[in-house]
Amino acid sequence: MAEEKILSEITGTVWKIEMGVGSSVEEDDVIMILESMKMEIPVLAPGSGTIASILVEEGTSIVEGQEVATMTT
Amino acid sequence: MAGHEELIAEHEARRARALEMGGAKKMEARKAQGRLNARERIDWIFDEGSFAETGMLATSHIPEMRDRSPADGKVCGYGKIEGRPAAIVSCDLTTLGASSSLTNVRKMGHLRRTAIRNGMPMIFLNETSGARIPDTMGAQGTGALGQDPEQFVRGREIPYAAACLGPSYGTGTWFTMLSDFVVMRKGACLAVSSPRVTSLAIGETVELEALGGWKLHTETTGLVDYAVDTDEEGLDLIKRFLSYLPSHSGELPPVAELPNESEINEDSILDIVPAERQKVYDVRKLIAAIVDPGSVFELKPRFARVATTALTRMGGKVVGVVATNPMFKGGALDPDGCDKITSFLVLCDSFHIPIVILTDTPGFLIGVEGERRKAPGKIMNFMTALQMCSVPKLSIVTRKSYGQAYLNMGGSRNSDEMAAWPTADVGFMDPNIGVNVVYGVTAESDPQKFEELKAEISRETSAYDLAAIYSAQAVLDPRETRRWLLSMLSVHSRGRERGFSRRALAYWPTTF
Repeated sequence: MAEEKILSEITGTVWKIEMGVGSSVEEDDVIMILESMKMEIPVLAPGSGTIASILVEEGTSIVEGQEVATMTT
Repeated sequence: MAGHEELIAEHEARRARALEMGGAKKMEARKAQGRLNARERIDWIFDEGSFAETGMLATSHIPEMRDRSPADGKVCGYGKIEGRPAAIVSCDLTTLGASSSLTNVRKMGHLRRTAIRNGMPMIFLNETSGARIPDTMGAQGTGALGQDPEQFVRGREIPYAAACLGPSYGTGTWFTMLSDFVVMRKGACLAVSSPRVTSLAIGETVELEALGGWKLHTETTGLVDYAVDTDEEGLDLIKRFLSYLPSHSGELPPVAELPNESEINEDSILDIVPAERQKVYDVRKLIAAIVDPGSVFELKPRFARVATTALTRMGGKVVGVVATNPMFKGGALDPDGCDKITSFLVLCDSFHIPIVILTDTPGFLIGVEGERRKAPGKIMNFMTALQMCSVPKLSIVTRKSYGQAYLNMGGSRNSDEMAAWPTADVGFMDPNIGVNVVYGVTAESDPQKFEELKAEISRETSAYDLAAIYSAQAVLDPRETRRWLLSMLSVHSRGRERGFSRRALAYWPTTF
């Protein structure tokens, strides 16, 4: 089991968190939704696995490349 | 017959030795690992019985290495894929690591020149340790290289496709980099030099995956189109890629049978693309709903996902689709996205493939990181390539299209015909941001003023405003998209040139 960092690909604000720790995900499942450039932009699972941690809260401002969650694959 | 028997027996023995490659033990070991050998790969990709080998009895030029170098480690020849000709180099890693030598480089050169002269795609199946040390040692060894002054020139007279099915260094890497399409087996390594050589050179341990693994190349560098789990999967992808391309630049792409129009559900478009601008969607679903069913073949699907580039068919004819994808970074084009689209435009224009552009983008992704990565230059490369394309170009603004990105995505006369959906919004930038940029007012600082100014700045940004000045030639119900495209592809068929592009981009580099 390897741990993989999930990074935000864009600067914005966390609008809605869709998955919790322990959730099983497939590649491209929506983990959380960011608000950026007046759009709702999803953070997607990079592969199949289980969410190990959520590192932000709704309303948190984040920058491009910031680690927002981790998952085990 | 008299006197021939012995000579024929020797001939057969030599052929049999060539077919053994690195010997039964090594072949068994590969089989146990689930890897095809060099000749099995050729059998997989070519029509049965169509392979004609060249250089089967070539060996190392060094007399004492001849017995150990059947076909000199690179099996070369010609064959057919679904009846269409192609040339192939298949590395035999079991023979001296398929290292590049004086003899096998000569074989490859002959093959490449023959393929270009006679108009058939080149396929490179790479699994090679790099340069062969005895051959390239010293000034005489190195000086003997480079005997073909056009070895590394791509004029795209023919398509190149490559698979990296194991280690790939040196010449194997160079020809992969010159290819129009690249697949890579997971666990393989594509790099300038091996992790061992690199580690020794820089004095620290370098891991294979970090140096040249599939994730690096499919997601970060974009040098590889697809990562696969098996050899067979990779070879099938090469066959599929070539099925969209002409054998050479002197012919048009192959035409498939007309699809069953009853399988096309244009109503689904309204469910795929939300009318609300803040909602995102995956443009790949929209493309699949517009083109012939089952015909979408995306290139570089894991790289620069802000842009989608796909070979498809419409009415049986090959069409290249370029789209921004709001699902990733809202569809804002970054430097990698520009590179991805530019290389796709070059491919399409070089092989006479019409281009359809679907636009829904808030513009170019601006920021310090983008500038550091040469965003302005990338945007102009993309723009230059688009304006140099002489294949038919059709564009549709589905929702947002702002600023310079409007032009890059075929806005106004940068495509032969432009349409907009009623959901289109075209202007110098997103009105929500424009209010702050122009007037310094934000929704937080003065909500009422913000809304007033936003209404003002949002005026005359609709599809109808674009159509009124004839910058858009049509406003389409989204469900009419396929019919409009088919009709306009027919109108802009380049009849006087019989559908052929001027190929002004043919010598554009493969990496830039």
